[in-house]
Amino acid sequence: MKRLNWKSGFFATAVIAAFAVTAAQAQVAPDALIKTVATDVTTVLKADPAILSNAAKLKELIESKLIPNFNFARMTQLAMGRNWAKASPEQQAALTKEFQTLLVRTYSGALANFRNNTIEVRPLRMQPAETDVTVKTVINQANGQGIPIDYSLEKGADGSWKAYDIIVGGVSLVTNYRDEFNTVIRDQSVDALIKQLQSKNK
Amino acid sequence: MKFAVVILTGVMTLSGCASFRTAAPGDPIEPINRGVYSFNSTFDHYLLKPIAKGYDAVVPGLVKTGVSNVFQNMSDAQSLVSDALQLKGAKFGDDLGRVMLNTTFGIGGIFDLATQLGVERGNEDIGQTLGYWGIGAGPYLVIPFLGPSSLRDAVGRFGDSKLNPLSYVSSVPVRNSLTGLSVVDARVGLFPAEDLLNQASLDKYTFLRSAYLQRRQSLVLDGKRPKDE
Repeated sequence: MKRLNWKSGFFATAVIAAFAVTAAQAQVAPDALIKTVATDVTTVLKADPAILSNAAKLKELIESKLIPNFNFARMTQLAMGRNWAKASPEQQAALTKEFQTLLVRTYSGALANFRNNTIEVRPLRMQPAETDVTVKTVINQANGQGIPIDYSLEKGADGSWKAYDIIVGGVSLVTNYRDEFNTVIRDQSVDALIKQLQSKNK
Repeated sequence: MKFAVVILTGVMTLSGCASFRTAAPGDPIEPINRGVYSFNSTFDHYLLKPIAKGYDAVVPGLVKTGVSNVFQNMSDAQSLVSDALQLKGAKFGDDLGRVMLNTTFGIGGIFDLATQLGVERGNEDIGQTLGYWGIGAGPYLVIPFLGPSSLRDAVGRFGDSKLNPLSYVSSVPVRNSLTGLSVVDARVGLFPAEDLLNQASLDKYTFLRSAYLQRRQSLVLDGKRPKDE
Protein backbone atom coordinates (compact mmCIF):
# COMPACT_ATOMS: atom_id res chain seq x y z
CA MET A 1 0.00 0.00 0.00
CA LYS A 2 1.63 3.17 -1.10
CA ARG A 3 1.63 5.95 1.38
CA LEU A 4 0.58 9.42 0.39
CA ASN A 5 3.46 11.82 0.10
CA TRP A 6 3.10 15.36 1.34
CA LYS A 7 2.37 16.72 -2.11
CA SER A 8 -0.61 14.52 -2.73
CA GLY A 9 -1.64 15.12 0.88
CA PHE A 10 -1.60 18.84 0.23
CA PHE A 11 -3.43 18.40 -3.04
CA ALA A 12 -6.06 16.23 -1.36
CA THR A 13 -6.54 18.83 1.34
CA ALA A 14 -7.03 21.50 -1.28
CA VAL A 15 -9.53 19.30 -3.09
CA ILE A 16 -11.41 18.64 0.13
CA ALA A 17 -11.48 22.34 0.94
CA ALA A 18 -12.92 22.97 -2.50
CA PHE A 19 -15.51 20.31 -1.97
CA ALA A 20 -16.38 21.53 1.50
CA VAL A 21 -17.27 24.87 -0.03
CA THR A 22 -19.47 23.40 -2.72
CA ALA A 23 -20.90 20.56 -0.61
CA ALA A 24 -23.76 22.64 0.64
CA GLN A 25 -25.23 23.40 -2.75
CA ALA A 26 -24.01 20.59 -5.03
CA GLN A 27 -23.80 16.81 -4.96
CA VAL A 28 -20.58 15.52 -3.48
CA ALA A 29 -18.93 12.65 -5.32
CA PRO A 30 -18.90 9.47 -3.21
CA ASP A 31 -15.12 9.21 -2.95
CA ALA A 32 -14.85 12.87 -1.96
CA LEU A 33 -17.55 12.32 0.65
CA ILE A 34 -15.66 9.43 2.24
CA LYS A 35 -12.44 11.44 2.15
CA THR A 36 -14.10 14.44 3.78
CA VAL A 37 -15.69 12.41 6.55
CA ALA A 38 -12.48 10.47 7.21
CA THR A 39 -10.45 13.68 7.33
CA ASP A 40 -12.95 15.42 9.59
CA VAL A 41 -13.06 12.53 12.05
CA THR A 42 -9.27 12.07 12.04
CA THR A 43 -8.74 15.79 12.60
CA VAL A 44 -11.06 15.81 15.61
CA LEU A 45 -9.46 12.67 17.07
CA LYS A 46 -5.94 14.00 16.61
CA ALA A 47 -6.78 17.36 18.13
CA ASP A 48 -8.49 15.81 21.15
CA PRO A 49 -7.53 12.16 21.73
CA ALA A 50 -9.34 12.20 25.08
CA ILE A 51 -12.59 12.21 23.14
CA LEU A 52 -12.25 8.44 22.77
CA SER A 53 -12.82 7.95 26.47
CA ASN A 54 -15.51 10.61 26.75
CA ALA A 55 -18.80 8.89 25.91
CA ALA A 56 -20.80 12.09 25.46
CA LYS A 57 -18.30 13.78 23.16
CA LEU A 58 -17.75 10.60 21.18
CA LYS A 59 -21.49 10.24 20.69
CA GLU A 60 -21.71 13.80 19.46
CA LEU A 61 -18.90 13.23 16.97
CA ILE A 62 -20.56 10.09 15.64
CA GLU A 63 -23.98 11.68 15.45
CA SER A 64 -22.77 14.76 13.65
CA LYS A 65 -20.19 13.22 11.29
CA LEU A 66 -21.00 9.58 10.70
CA ILE A 67 -24.68 8.77 11.16
CA PRO A 68 -25.98 11.27 8.57
CA ASN A 69 -23.85 9.53 5.94
CA PHE A 70 -25.20 6.04 6.53
CA ASN A 71 -28.51 4.62 5.38
CA PHE A 72 -29.39 2.38 8.32
CA ALA A 73 -32.82 1.48 6.97
CA ARG A 74 -31.23 0.09 3.82
CA MET A 75 -28.54 -1.72 5.84
CA THR A 76 -31.16 -3.38 7.99
CA GLN A 77 -33.23 -4.37 4.99
CA LEU A 78 -30.20 -5.91 3.28
CA ALA A 79 -29.10 -7.67 6.45
CA MET A 80 -32.59 -9.16 6.78
CA GLY A 81 -32.58 -10.34 3.16
CA ARG A 82 -35.64 -12.39 2.29
CA ASN A 83 -36.75 -12.28 5.94
CA TRP A 84 -37.49 -8.56 5.59
CA ALA A 85 -40.79 -9.24 3.88
CA LYS A 86 -41.82 -11.57 6.71
CA ALA A 87 -41.48 -8.78 9.29
CA SER A 88 -44.37 -6.43 10.08
CA PRO A 89 -43.79 -2.66 9.70
CA GLU A 90 -43.50 -2.41 13.51
CA GLN A 91 -40.91 -5.19 13.55
CA GLN A 92 -39.04 -3.54 10.68
CA ALA A 93 -38.91 -0.24 12.57
CA ALA A 94 -37.72 -1.96 15.76
CA LEU A 95 -35.05 -3.90 13.86
CA THR A 96 -33.75 -0.76 12.15
CA LYS A 97 -33.52 1.11 15.45
CA GLU A 98 -31.78 -1.71 17.32
CA PHE A 99 -29.42 -2.52 14.46
CA GLN A 100 -28.34 1.10 14.21
CA THR A 101 -27.65 1.21 17.94
CA LEU A 102 -25.61 -2.00 17.77
CA LEU A 103 -23.52 -0.79 14.85
CA VAL A 104 -22.87 2.63 16.33
CA ARG A 105 -21.84 1.11 19.64
CA THR A 106 -19.60 -1.50 18.11
CA TYR A 107 -17.82 0.72 15.70
CA SER A 108 -17.37 3.74 17.93
CA GLY A 109 -14.81 1.53 19.68
CA ALA A 110 -13.10 0.95 16.35
CA LEU A 111 -12.66 4.70 15.84
CA ALA A 112 -9.50 4.56 17.92
CA ASN A 113 -7.90 3.01 14.83
CA PHE A 114 -8.28 6.25 12.95
CA ARG A 115 -6.18 8.24 15.34
CA ASN A 116 -2.65 7.08 14.57
CA ASN A 117 -3.18 5.89 11.04
CA THR A 118 -3.65 7.53 7.69
CA ILE A 119 -6.58 6.82 5.43
CA GLU A 120 -6.01 6.61 1.73
CA VAL A 121 -9.11 6.93 -0.45
CA ARG A 122 -8.70 5.42 -3.89
CA PRO A 123 -10.07 7.63 -6.65
CA LEU A 124 -13.34 6.31 -8.00
CA ARG A 125 -14.01 5.96 -11.69
CA MET A 126 -17.75 6.18 -12.17
CA GLN A 127 -20.28 7.05 -14.86
CA PRO A 128 -22.43 10.12 -14.11
CA ALA A 129 -25.61 8.02 -14.20
CA GLU A 130 -24.43 5.46 -11.64
CA THR A 131 -26.40 5.32 -8.38
CA ASP A 132 -24.58 2.46 -6.63
CA VAL A 133 -20.82 2.52 -6.19
CA THR A 134 -18.07 1.08 -4.00
CA VAL A 135 -15.32 3.38 -2.76
CA LYS A 136 -12.07 1.64 -1.86
CA THR A 137 -9.94 2.90 0.99
CA VAL A 138 -6.90 1.64 2.83
CA ILE A 139 -6.04 2.36 6.44
CA ASN A 140 -2.26 2.51 6.56
CA GLN A 141 -1.14 1.44 9.99
CA ALA A 142 2.06 2.55 11.64
CA ASN A 143 3.53 -0.95 11.18
CA GLY A 144 3.15 -0.70 7.41
CA GLN A 145 0.29 -3.16 7.10
CA GLY A 146 -2.70 -1.78 5.23
CA ILE A 147 -6.28 -2.70 6.05
CA PRO A 148 -8.48 -2.46 2.97
CA ILE A 149 -11.90 -1.01 3.77
CA ASP A 150 -14.50 -0.55 1.04
CA TYR A 151 -17.69 1.45 1.38
CA SER A 152 -20.75 0.71 -0.73
CA LEU A 153 -22.85 3.81 -1.28
CA GLU A 154 -26.17 4.46 -2.89
CA LYS A 155 -27.48 7.72 -4.29
CA GLY A 156 -30.72 8.85 -2.70
CA ALA A 157 -33.63 10.70 -4.33
CA ASP A 158 -32.20 13.99 -3.03
CA GLY A 159 -28.91 13.34 -4.82
CA SER A 160 -26.88 12.68 -1.68
CA TRP A 161 -24.79 9.53 -1.28
CA LYS A 162 -25.21 7.34 1.77
CA ALA A 163 -23.24 4.23 2.73
CA TYR A 164 -25.12 0.95 3.12
CA ASP A 165 -22.27 -1.51 3.58
CA ILE A 166 -18.71 -1.58 4.88
CA ILE A 167 -16.37 -4.28 3.61
CA VAL A 168 -13.31 -4.82 5.80
CA GLY A 169 -10.64 -7.02 4.26
CA GLY A 170 -13.26 -8.59 2.02
CA VAL A 171 -15.72 -9.22 4.85
CA SER A 172 -19.00 -7.44 4.26
CA LEU A 173 -20.76 -6.19 7.35
CA VAL A 174 -24.16 -6.67 5.78
CA THR A 175 -23.43 -10.21 4.61
CA ASN A 176 -22.08 -11.12 8.02
CA TYR A 177 -25.21 -9.89 9.77
CA ARG A 178 -27.43 -11.47 7.14
CA ASP A 179 -26.01 -14.86 8.06
CA GLU A 180 -26.46 -14.16 11.76
CA PHE A 181 -30.00 -12.81 11.38
CA ASN A 182 -30.88 -15.78 9.20
CA THR A 183 -29.67 -18.22 11.83
CA VAL A 184 -31.69 -16.58 14.59
CA ILE A 185 -34.83 -16.35 12.47
CA ARG A 186 -34.37 -19.88 11.15
CA ASP A 187 -34.02 -21.35 14.65
CA GLN A 188 -36.40 -18.95 16.42
CA SER A 189 -38.32 -15.94 15.07
CA VAL A 190 -38.16 -12.29 14.05
CA ASP A 191 -39.30 -11.29 17.54
CA ALA A 192 -36.52 -13.35 19.07
CA LEU A 193 -34.05 -11.48 16.87
CA ILE A 194 -35.40 -8.12 18.05
CA LYS A 195 -35.16 -9.29 21.67
CA GLN A 196 -31.56 -10.43 21.19
CA LEU A 197 -30.61 -7.10 19.64
CA GLN A 198 -32.31 -5.24 22.46
CA SER A 199 -30.56 -7.19 25.18
CA LYS A 200 -27.23 -6.79 23.35
CA ASN A 201 -27.79 -3.00 23.31
CA LYS A 202 -28.65 -2.70 26.98
CA MET B 1 -1.37 -33.33 11.85
CA LYS B 2 -2.48 -36.95 11.65
CA PHE B 3 -5.74 -36.12 13.34
CA ALA B 4 -6.46 -33.57 10.61
CA VAL B 5 -6.51 -36.43 8.13
CA VAL B 6 -8.72 -38.50 10.43
CA ILE B 7 -11.12 -35.58 10.83
CA LEU B 8 -11.21 -34.98 7.09
CA THR B 9 -12.04 -38.60 6.40
CA GLY B 10 -14.69 -38.50 9.11
CA VAL B 11 -16.19 -35.32 7.72
CA MET B 12 -16.35 -36.65 4.19
CA THR B 13 -18.09 -39.79 5.41
CA LEU B 14 -20.53 -37.83 7.52
CA SER B 15 -21.42 -35.26 4.91
CA GLY B 16 -22.08 -38.11 2.52
CA CYS B 17 -24.66 -39.89 4.60
CA ALA B 18 -26.09 -37.50 7.15
CA SER B 19 -28.61 -34.83 6.38
CA PHE B 20 -29.61 -32.14 8.82
CA ARG B 21 -32.98 -30.48 8.95
CA THR B 22 -31.89 -26.87 8.90
CA ALA B 23 -28.40 -26.88 7.42
CA ALA B 24 -27.07 -23.50 6.33
CA PRO B 25 -25.63 -23.47 2.82
CA GLY B 26 -21.90 -24.16 2.92
CA ASP B 27 -22.12 -25.70 6.37
CA PRO B 28 -23.68 -29.17 6.00
CA ILE B 29 -22.23 -30.46 9.26
CA GLU B 30 -23.18 -27.46 11.39
CA PRO B 31 -24.16 -29.47 14.50
CA ILE B 32 -20.76 -31.18 14.57
CA ASN B 33 -18.95 -27.93 13.82
CA ARG B 34 -20.79 -26.24 16.65
CA GLY B 35 -19.72 -29.04 18.98
CA VAL B 36 -16.07 -28.60 17.99
CA TYR B 37 -16.43 -24.82 18.22
CA SER B 38 -17.68 -25.09 21.76
CA PHE B 39 -14.82 -27.48 22.61
CA ASN B 40 -12.31 -25.02 21.14
CA SER B 41 -13.87 -22.12 23.08
CA THR B 42 -13.53 -24.03 26.34
CA PHE B 43 -9.94 -24.99 25.54
CA ASP B 44 -9.20 -21.37 24.70
CA HIS B 45 -10.94 -19.99 27.75
CA TYR B 46 -9.15 -22.22 30.26
CA LEU B 47 -5.77 -22.73 28.65
CA LEU B 48 -4.72 -20.81 25.56
CA LYS B 49 -6.12 -17.39 26.41
CA PRO B 50 -4.72 -17.26 29.96
CA ILE B 51 -1.29 -18.25 28.62
CA ALA B 52 -1.49 -15.63 25.86
CA LYS B 53 -2.59 -12.98 28.41
CA GLY B 54 0.33 -13.86 30.64
CA TYR B 55 2.77 -13.73 27.73
CA ASP B 56 1.31 -10.42 26.61
CA ALA B 57 1.62 -8.93 30.10
CA VAL B 58 5.11 -10.21 30.95
CA VAL B 59 7.07 -9.99 27.71
CA PRO B 60 8.31 -6.51 26.66
CA GLY B 61 6.77 -5.03 23.53
CA LEU B 62 9.98 -5.05 21.49
CA VAL B 63 10.54 -8.74 22.17
CA LYS B 64 6.94 -9.55 21.23
CA THR B 65 7.32 -7.66 17.96
CA GLY B 66 10.59 -9.50 17.27
CA VAL B 67 8.95 -12.87 17.92
CA SER B 68 6.00 -12.00 15.67
CA ASN B 69 8.39 -10.87 12.95
CA VAL B 70 10.38 -14.10 13.07
CA PHE B 71 7.25 -16.23 12.62
CA GLN B 72 5.98 -13.86 9.95
CA ASN B 73 9.27 -14.24 8.12
CA MET B 74 8.85 -18.01 8.17
CA SER B 75 5.36 -17.62 6.83
CA ASP B 76 6.68 -15.36 4.04
CA ALA B 77 9.10 -18.15 3.12
CA GLN B 78 6.19 -20.58 3.20
CA SER B 79 4.25 -18.29 0.80
CA LEU B 80 6.92 -18.60 -1.90
CA VAL B 81 5.69 -21.98 -3.12
CA SER B 82 2.11 -20.71 -3.31
CA ASP B 83 3.20 -17.56 -5.17
CA ALA B 84 5.00 -19.75 -7.70
CA LEU B 85 2.16 -22.25 -8.06
CA GLN B 86 -0.19 -19.36 -8.88
CA LEU B 87 2.32 -17.92 -11.35
CA LYS B 88 2.25 -14.63 -9.45
CA GLY B 89 5.69 -13.36 -10.39
CA ALA B 90 5.44 -9.98 -8.66
CA LYS B 91 4.34 -11.53 -5.37
CA PHE B 92 7.04 -14.17 -5.66
CA GLY B 93 9.66 -11.47 -6.17
CA ASP B 94 8.35 -9.43 -3.25
CA ASP B 95 8.23 -12.38 -0.89
CA LEU B 96 11.67 -13.60 -1.97
CA GLY B 97 13.09 -10.11 -1.45
CA ARG B 98 11.36 -9.89 1.93
CA VAL B 99 12.74 -13.19 3.16
CA MET B 100 16.27 -12.50 1.92
CA LEU B 101 16.38 -9.01 3.38
CA ASN B 102 14.72 -9.84 6.69
CA THR B 103 16.66 -13.05 7.24
CA THR B 104 20.03 -11.41 6.66
CA PHE B 105 19.96 -7.74 7.61
CA GLY B 106 16.88 -8.27 9.74
CA ILE B 107 18.82 -10.89 11.77
CA GLY B 108 16.78 -14.02 11.21
CA GLY B 109 13.59 -12.05 10.72
CA ILE B 110 13.60 -10.25 14.08
CA PHE B 111 13.41 -6.92 12.26
CA ASP B 112 10.92 -6.51 9.46
CA LEU B 113 13.01 -4.16 7.33
CA ALA B 114 11.18 -5.10 4.15
CA THR B 115 7.86 -3.69 5.39
CA GLN B 116 9.59 -0.48 6.42
CA LEU B 117 10.94 -0.24 2.89
CA GLY B 118 7.44 -0.69 1.54
CA VAL B 119 7.78 -4.24 0.15
CA GLU B 120 4.37 -5.82 0.59
CA ARG B 121 3.72 -9.25 1.95
CA GLY B 122 2.28 -11.64 -0.65
CA ASN B 123 0.20 -13.40 1.97
CA GLU B 124 -0.46 -16.55 -0.05
CA ASP B 125 -1.02 -20.13 1.07
CA ILE B 126 -1.89 -23.52 -0.38
CA GLY B 127 -5.60 -23.12 0.36
CA GLN B 128 -5.62 -19.94 -1.75
CA THR B 129 -3.58 -21.71 -4.42
CA LEU B 130 -6.20 -24.46 -4.67
CA GLY B 131 -8.86 -21.75 -4.84
CA TYR B 132 -6.94 -19.93 -7.55
CA TRP B 133 -7.03 -23.06 -9.69
CA GLY B 134 -10.77 -23.28 -9.34
CA ILE B 135 -11.29 -25.52 -6.35
CA GLY B 136 -14.21 -24.28 -4.25
CA ALA B 137 -14.06 -23.93 -0.49
CA GLY B 138 -16.19 -27.04 0.08
CA PRO B 139 -17.98 -27.55 3.38
CA TYR B 140 -17.11 -25.29 6.29
CA LEU B 141 -15.12 -27.05 8.99
CA VAL B 142 -14.21 -26.19 12.54
CA ILE B 143 -11.00 -28.10 13.27
CA PRO B 144 -10.24 -29.09 16.87
CA PHE B 145 -7.73 -26.68 18.43
CA LEU B 146 -7.23 -24.85 15.11
CA GLY B 147 -10.66 -23.28 14.55
CA PRO B 148 -12.48 -22.12 11.41
CA SER B 149 -11.52 -23.74 8.12
CA SER B 150 -13.01 -25.34 5.07
CA LEU B 151 -12.34 -28.68 3.46
CA ARG B 152 -10.11 -26.99 0.86
CA ASP B 153 -8.28 -24.88 3.44
CA ALA B 154 -7.76 -27.85 5.76
CA VAL B 155 -5.94 -29.63 2.93
CA GLY B 156 -4.04 -26.38 2.30
CA ARG B 157 -3.06 -26.08 5.95
CA PHE B 158 -1.62 -29.55 5.88
CA GLY B 159 0.48 -28.59 2.85
CA ASP B 160 1.52 -25.29 4.43
CA SER B 161 2.66 -27.01 7.60
CA LYS B 162 5.04 -29.11 5.47
CA LEU B 163 6.38 -25.98 3.77
CA ASN B 164 6.95 -23.96 6.91
CA PRO B 165 10.62 -23.68 7.91
CA LEU B 166 9.57 -24.70 11.43
CA SER B 167 8.93 -28.24 10.21
CA TYR B 168 12.63 -28.55 9.28
CA VAL B 169 13.82 -27.96 12.84
CA SER B 170 15.20 -31.42 13.60
CA SER B 171 15.16 -31.30 17.41
CA VAL B 172 11.65 -32.31 18.46
CA PRO B 173 11.58 -30.41 21.80
CA VAL B 174 12.84 -27.24 20.12
CA ARG B 175 10.35 -27.60 17.29
CA ASN B 176 7.48 -28.18 19.69
CA SER B 177 8.46 -25.21 21.84
CA LEU B 178 8.67 -22.96 18.79
CA THR B 179 5.33 -24.20 17.52
CA GLY B 180 3.82 -23.50 20.94
CA LEU B 181 5.30 -20.01 20.93
CA SER B 182 3.93 -19.35 17.45
CA VAL B 183 0.44 -20.36 18.66
CA VAL B 184 0.66 -18.01 21.65
CA ASP B 185 1.98 -15.21 19.41
CA ALA B 186 -0.91 -15.70 17.01
CA ARG B 187 -3.39 -15.76 19.90
CA VAL B 188 -2.12 -12.42 21.24
CA GLY B 189 -2.67 -10.98 17.78
CA LEU B 190 -6.34 -11.92 18.04
CA PHE B 191 -7.12 -9.87 21.15
CA PRO B 192 -8.44 -6.77 19.31
CA ALA B 193 -10.56 -8.87 16.95
CA GLU B 194 -11.94 -10.81 19.90
CA ASP B 195 -13.26 -7.66 21.58
CA LEU B 196 -14.95 -6.65 18.36
CA LEU B 197 -16.42 -10.13 17.96
CA ASN B 198 -17.88 -10.07 21.47
CA GLN B 199 -19.36 -6.65 20.95
CA ALA B 200 -20.65 -7.09 17.42
CA SER B 201 -22.03 -10.60 17.22
CA LEU B 202 -25.33 -12.15 18.23
CA ASP B 203 -24.11 -15.67 17.58
CA LYS B 204 -20.34 -15.95 17.54
CA TYR B 205 -20.32 -19.22 15.65
CA THR B 206 -22.28 -17.80 12.72
CA PHE B 207 -20.41 -14.52 12.79
CA LEU B 208 -17.03 -16.27 12.60
CA ARG B 209 -18.18 -18.65 9.90
CA SER B 210 -19.42 -15.84 7.70
CA ALA B 211 -16.34 -13.72 8.28
CA TYR B 212 -13.99 -16.65 7.67
CA LEU B 213 -15.62 -17.73 4.41
CA GLN B 214 -15.80 -14.18 3.08
CA ARG B 215 -12.22 -13.41 4.07
CA ARG B 216 -10.86 -16.52 2.38
CA GLN B 217 -12.85 -15.84 -0.76
CA SER B 218 -11.44 -12.32 -0.80
CA LEU B 219 -7.88 -13.61 -0.36
CA VAL B 220 -8.32 -16.10 -3.20
CA LEU B 221 -9.46 -13.24 -5.43
CA ASP B 222 -6.65 -10.98 -4.13
CA GLY B 223 -9.07 -8.43 -2.77
CA LYS B 224 -11.27 -8.21 -5.84
CA ARG B 225 -14.91 -8.78 -5.12
CA PRO B 226 -16.91 -11.26 -7.19
CA LYS B 227 -18.91 -8.48 -8.80
CA ASP B 228 -15.79 -6.50 -9.79
CA GLU B 229 -14.40 -6.68 -13.34
